[in-house]
This record gives sequence, C-alpha cells and structure tokens, in this order.
Amino acid sequence: MATGTRTGRSRFTLIFLLLTSATLLTLDARDFEPLQRTEETLSDLISPLRSGADRVFEPVGDAWAGVTGYDELESENEALRQELQKLEGQQILDSDAAIRLESLLDVLGLPYVQDIPNVVGEVVTANVGNFDRYSVQINRGAEDGIRNGMPVVTRGGLIGRIDGDPGRGHSRVTLLTDPSFEVGVLVVGTEDVALASGGGHGEPLMVTKGLEIDTEVAIGDEVVTSGVDRSRYPPGIPIGTVTDIDFDEARLLQLLTVEPSANTDSLSFVTVLLYDPLEDG
Amino acid sequence: MTTASAYVRSGLFLLTALVLHLALFSDLRVLGVAPEVPLAIAVTAGLVGGPERGAIAGFAIGLGIDLYLPTLFGLSALIYTVWGYTVGLLEERIFRSAWWINVLVTAAATAGGLLVYAVLGELLGEVNLYTDRLYTVMGVAAAYNLVLSLPLLGLWHWSWPRLLGEER
Repeated sequence: MATGTRTGRSRFTLIFLLLTSATLLTLDARDFEPLQRTEETLSDLISPLRSGADRVFEPVGDAWAGVTGYDELESENEALRQELQKLEGQQILDSDAAIRLESLLDVLGLPYVQDIPNVVGEVVTANVGNFDRYSVQINRGAEDGIRNGMPVVTRGGLIGRIDGDPGRGHSRVTLLTDPSFEVGVLVVGTEDVALASGGGHGEPLMVTKGLEIDTEVAIGDEVVTSGVDRSRYPPGIPIGTVTDIDFDEARLLQLLTVEPSANTDSLSFVTVLLYDPLEDG
Repeated sequence: MTTASAYVRSGLFLLTALVLHLALFSDLRVLGVAPEVPLAIAVTAGLVGGPERGAIAGFAIGLGIDLYLPTLFGLSALIYTVWGYTVGLLEERIFRSAWWINVLVTAAATAGGLLVYAVLGELLGEVNLYTDRLYTVMGVAAAYNLVLSLPLLGLWHWSWPRLLGEER
C-alpha cells in the first residue's frame, strides 16, 4: 500500500517537473522577459560563491591544463621557435606590411577601434559544459553599457559578439569560431564585401559568399570587418589572414580560408566595443 | 535527523556541486571533455533515493546548470529529471543497489543522457550538439562519471540517511 502511494506520488512529481521544464523551455524560446530577468537574478545570486570558488580552484585548473596539455605546449613551443626565426629574417618586410595595412585602412576611411567607447571584461567562465565550446562568459554586463550583439575584440582582432541580453554584471560572448557565426568582411585592398562564417573549434573561418571570382586576392592578404551600412560591427576590425583560395566556378565566387588573427583559446581579458550601428553609424 | 534537515543537506549538496562544477570540474578536461557532474548528480540521486528524489535532484541541478549554458533554459532540467526518475525506477525494480552495478549504471546513464541531450537539443533548434565529437564526449564523460560516482553515491547516503532508513 505504502509502495503504491509512493509510486503514485513519484509519477505526479515527474509529470509536474516535466511540465515545468517544458513551460520554461517554451518561455525561453519566446524570449519571455520576466524569465530572463529571473535567470539573471539567480545567476547573480550564485556569482559571489562562484567567484570565490574560481579564485580557490584556479591553481588546480592551471596545473591540470599544464599536465594534460604538455605535449601540445611542447609542439606549440617548437612551432613558435621556428616562427620566431622566420619573423626575425623578415622583420623589415613585416614592418613594411604593417605600414601598408595602416595606410590601406586610412585610404579606405576605416576608423580605429580605439575611437569607439569600450569596456574591458574578464572571462569568468569559458565552457562550463561539453557542448558550449563556442561561448565564454565575461564579468561585464548591462550596467556597463553592454547590449546584445556588440562586438568583442582582443588585441589580435575580433573574437566574437555579445549573445543575448546581458545580465546586470555579466554577459555571454559567442566566439567567431561558432559555425553559426557570420560577419561581413572586406579583404584589404579590394572593394568586395563578403560574408565569413566560423569553421568550428580550432578551424579557420570560411568566406563563401560575396567575393566575385575576378577580385584580386592573394594568400596573406588581411581580412577586416566591412562595417557596411548598419552592420553590427564597425569597419576595420582585424579578422585574420587569407591562407587558402578556392574557386566556385558554378557561382562565380572565390572561397577563402581565413586564419583568425585573434586567439580564442585561453582568453583572459576581452574588450567589448559599445558600438550601436544605429547610433554610431 | 529530521526530514527538514535532510532537505537542507540535499540543498547544500546540490549548491556545492553546482559551484564546484562551474569553478573546478569544468576546467579538468581530457581531450577537451569535462566531467558531467550535474548529470552524475541526477543519476546517483535516482540510484540512492529512488525515482522521485532522482527526478527532483535532476530538475534542481539541471536548472542550476541551465543558467550557465547557451542552450535553451530548461533543456538540462527536462533531461536530468527524466534521467533521475528512470534510473531510480530501474534501480528499484531491477538493479537493487549492488555498488558496482550503481557505478556502471552511472557511467552508462551519463553516455545515454548526453546522447539524448544532443538529439533533443537539435530537435529543439539548438546547433553544434549532434556532431562527430559527440561520441568522444560520451566516452570521456562516462569514464569521468564512473570515477565520480562512488563519492557522489556516498554523499547522497549522507544527505538522506533517515529518509532512506524509514523507507527500506
């Protein structure tokens, strides 16, 4: 009898919890604002505990990364050593290239990122799950002026954009490696605006739309944000370098492989550009 | 120990597990895969406390982790609820609590839960869940949770000693 009552109660509990979950899913899919505010409040409540625990366990995480990534670090060091030798030999050429890029940006009338108001945020959580490899969370949010869709950069260039409405003191950044990430780009020296999309974790970006077959592009060309009318990104933010060129004869387009200039692994600090194309553009 | 204090213990356990997952376990990656502590919490709660407590613990820890995932809010809660309940039901009717079976069930349920998560997520319009990498994630996370299951089973017994004693 007692077992029967317990089974009935547990079934009722299961149905109640399933209905609650389904309701939350539906409301979230419809961007129901009160739910989003509740999520932010709950997240803010847990935040101090999490920050404290982060500080305590940071050395453990670092040590673990050191141990598990040792082979990777060794090969990375070797690659960097070779790269350094190459760079030393080409220093003069490189400085020429930098000057050329700067002047090209000037010619194209692209403003520098530094002119745009910005907020520096610390990455508080890189992936917490096994399926969110394309987002990180930062400790700056709505109270710092951050809004949905704002571009996020590091010294290397664009790394992503703010995804969704930020919380009061935190927000989520979708990285440009996300296959669903798209950004309007311009190959420096050309006038064709094209569309680049993320290629996945550790993979280069792909430009598959918009670049006509007769546009002169060379391997090593710099790619920057196009900033065309009402684009969510201001013009001139470095995206990467062209590493491969292919041709789509059927669509008469060039397909570019672009190695991102900014490293999206092990991010510590990022800069959010408080850029609103409707206000600033 | 009163029922109230058992629930306080469970609440503290769940909150601590969530914070530890966010601050520590999510950084301890092998092949880029972290332990699935929240899923292990739901499964072990079902194994120790039965279907109802498995469902409640799964729902609570699922909601907690949903706050930090880019996927739809409620997706983890939904799957962990079902998983906690199902494992609890199987334990009651089939497994009967041999510790080594519980450990193996936790690992298998982790792999299964991740597969369901990926498939259901994709059906609900999420992207990047059902990929080539999914099977690596399932394998590594299952191995991780195999190791974590023993302390988690022990902690659930610590949370609900009187309740379990009364029921069995």
